[in-house]
Amino acid sequence: MSGERDDTAVCVDGVEVPAAVGQSLAGALHDAGIRVLRRNLVTDEPRAPFCGMGVCFECEVSVDGRLRRACQLHVRPGMVVSTGREHDDER
Amino acid sequence: MTTSTADVVVIGAGILGAAAAHELAAAGHRVVVLERRAPNREGSGTTAGNLHIQAIHTRRPGQPIPADNRRFLPLQLAASQLWGDLEDRLDADLEVRRNGGFMVAETAEQTRELVEKNRMEAELGLRTEVLDGTAARSELPLLSERVVAATWCELDGYANPLLVAPAYLTAARQHGAVVRGFSPVTRIARTGRTWQVSTSDGTWSTPTVINAAGPWIGQVAELGGTRLNMTPVAIQMHVTTRVRPIMRHLVQHIGEGMSVKQVSAGHLLIGGGWPAERLDLSGRSAPSLASMRGNLLQAARILPFLADLQLLRMWAGPLAATPDEMPVIGEVPGAPGFFVAGGTYAFTLAPLWASALARLVAGGSPPLPIDDLGPARLCADAAVTS
Amino acid sequence: MSVDGDPRPAGAIERCDVAVVGGGPAGLSAALHLARLGAYVILLDEAEELGGQYFKRRQGSVLAKHGDFRPEGTSLISAVRASGVRCWTECSVWGVGEDERTLLVAGPEDEPRSVSARAVLVATGGYERSIPFSGWQLPGVVTPGYALHLATCDRIPVGQRAVVAGTGPFLLPVSCALLDVGVEVAAVVEVNRPYRPSLRVAAALAHPARLAEFASYRAVLARRKVPLLQGWQVVEANGSGALERVRIESVGGREAGREYDVDALAVAYGFRPATELVRLLGARCEVRQGDLFPRTDGRGRTTAEGVYVAGESAGIAGVHVARLRGEVTAASIAADLGLPGAAEPARATLRRLRRGEAFSAVTADLYPVPDSLISGLCDGTVICRCEGVTAGQIRAADAVGWNDRNSVKGATRAGMGPCQGRECAPAVAALCGASGSTEPFPARMPIKPVPIRVAMGESAEEVS
Repeated sequence: MSGERDDTAVCVDGVEVPAAVGQSLAGALHDAGIRVLRRNLVTDEPRAPFCGMGVCFECEVSVDGRLRRACQLHVRPGMVVSTGREHDDER
Repeated sequence: MTTSTADVVVIGAGILGAAAAHELAAAGHRVVVLERRAPNREGSGTTAGNLHIQAIHTRRPGQPIPADNRRFLPLQLAASQLWGDLEDRLDADLEVRRNGGFMVAETAEQTRELVEKNRMEAELGLRTEVLDGTAARSELPLLSERVVAATWCELDGYANPLLVAPAYLTAARQHGAVVRGFSPVTRIARTGRTWQVSTSDGTWSTPTVINAAGPWIGQVAELGGTRLNMTPVAIQMHVTTRVRPIMRHLVQHIGEGMSVKQVSAGHLLIGGGWPAERLDLSGRSAPSLASMRGNLLQAARILPFLADLQLLRMWAGPLAATPDEMPVIGEVPGAPGFFVAGGTYAFTLAPLWASALARLVAGGSPPLPIDDLGPARLCADAAVTS
Repeated sequence: MSVDGDPRPAGAIERCDVAVVGGGPAGLSAALHLARLGAYVILLDEAEELGGQYFKRRQGSVLAKHGDFRPEGTSLISAVRASGVRCWTECSVWGVGEDERTLLVAGPEDEPRSVSARAVLVATGGYERSIPFSGWQLPGVVTPGYALHLATCDRIPVGQRAVVAGTGPFLLPVSCALLDVGVEVAAVVEVNRPYRPSLRVAAALAHPARLAEFASYRAVLARRKVPLLQGWQVVEANGSGALERVRIESVGGREAGREYDVDALAVAYGFRPATELVRLLGARCEVRQGDLFPRTDGRGRTTAEGVYVAGESAGIAGVHVARLRGEVTAASIAADLGLPGAAEPARATLRRLRRGEAFSAVTADLYPVPDSLISGLCDGTVICRCEGVTAGQIRAADAVGWNDRNSVKGATRAGMGPCQGRECAPAVAALCGASGSTEPFPARMPIKPVPIRVAMGESAEEVS
């Protein structure tokens, strides 16, 4: 949607996704069409960022190996993000 | 103020009171359960929910004397059997998991203790296995290199303490039991062989009282005219956020208070009887940060993956300990019809104590001898002073 | 093994005069005033940059392309940084030491830190008052605040077509900001009827500047032909895997329900103060309409000695009041610590604060949260979104007759997930028929989930 200002890329679940430095990570993922960031561990429903201010934990993803809330971070070049949006066969 | 009659008045709706109420109601008794606040909110709802079947060996940090593990083991074995079909009997999902458990050692001395424990277990009829560190890690690769040996017991497990007492109460109610929350007992009087148990809104006249009041067991006994030497303490628990299934077993430490498991909801529960900041019987006891750090450091030393998880909550709850660390169960001497049940490992032993109380109330003998666990040993002082 | 073999404390303890928790308008303003009086101040914030929600900064290429957002925030932050305040960003306060004054902190690299201060100022702000409804956990349903930040700071539209709903004046600027980044706003759905002549509205006439601001938003909505529905509420969000349709009904059911095909719904019913830390520090709160408000002396002093509160965490009143509260509370702290140069706040400041608080009281009256929003929920509605607990499960646990609110939590797990009940606790309490006189759930450590390695006081390198 705002592709004209994308100036970097983050790696999301192994795929390079264009993003703009300084965007919130939650926003950048949203803009790249990645709305669902995790599945609820109880209901297995897809979940996406909700509160945008660090309260609801619905946007929690792994960033460079650490669990972080995507709404609290800004895009940096080379970020490696892993979401929990896919079904997990182990369950 | 109304006066009603009951066959049995149970004081305390923790797991022991709830289980006893169920057993007695199912046997046809008219049971009333009186609980000072909401059921299952104290020790029974705040405990780790472990089903300890391999011998108890470890002391809680700060525990002055060890439990008599040789005396405990037959009780654990009997309880183990009763847990086997508890979900069917209560027709409820209690999240019981019997995937076995390890008790680990880090030193040569601890390994010797493990071997000795294993020998005693064999002698008393419990099959456990001693593994060296490598064998233990091949069974549970999450164990750190610090583990030099472990015993394995396939009967160890856990259940969800938030579900068990409520399920017992629900089943008891189906058998006609009456459960009164927020009804603290204010007075207990005796006329001949009849007890009058009063709360602020009623009195129950009954031949049988069961005092299962957990940390308040001493206070309730005193209302009934007996001094019981009990020493409630508060211990604490820590829980991580939910994660995908990673560990099926209960992991304990032979030298230190530690229990770690992943419950069916996905949380890792880390405990071990570490002391809370203070015992507060009027509200919630406050957890201690020193105990939190100690317990977490130790658990992460044995299971390093824990360090990367997120601590979600911690809490403290009371434990109705006796001075000798052994359970107390039986009729109070000189107070016919007044029974007490409490003490350590009540969660594991609850189904057994329920069955024992039901038989004692009916005038029969318990499923296995428990005379030595009666309250007499805790009222010795009281007899002298009164 | 005994507790005597106690491990080392959580990182080295930093000592300072004042620890300010929260780098929003109130925290920034207080920190600046205190630093100018010579206090050694540490300002902690969870986010990567100061500003809080209102002064959230544009960064990087978004800033380069679209320019600064709310430049007064940038100048305030620059002034704070220049004043000698030590700014600890990406630092999450997760607990309080036994002395009830030491803050336990998770640092940016998940390293444990602690701060021991002579005075602690809690300026943790507020968060949006979400009220559960059927489907609120669907992707595409967000808070208005999140939709706003996407639009303003990131310049990203929350969806192609949106409904903005709930209650409060905030819905108007949010709707305008969405229009500004190209979102088609299908409707603004306000549960109350604040934009009709009434005595309550007349009370707001005493605050012409604020009224002019709202009039300008309404003019934009009218020009863009966005319907502003009053007395309507969102009852259901639907979609397969993500939001596709929103259903609204008129309060009282006088008119037939309406449906909108949208991919975004921004909904909340105002804000509630974030009081977890102030409660953990031992300060008392009172419950008003299901939300907790710290008790203060009107100048930021709580009931706990050495603990202060300012900004939205002291009661929802907007950015102007937040800054004034920061200034006034800084004066209280300076006086209590005996800082040289401590003085009474200017009378004009106090007057503006009083006027601002009066306006916020008028606003609160205009935008109440009807009880029926929760009592009318059907049993299948998810209340605790973390643990997937429904209204029916909560009602059933309440109906056994022996549970109080905390045991309903235990029986259902409602409020036990990672948000720790922030999103659902008031709804759970309301479903339990709580009188509204006691805390929804007690504040506990950790205030927010914290890595175990931080809680046990080790840095990542120290644990092999």
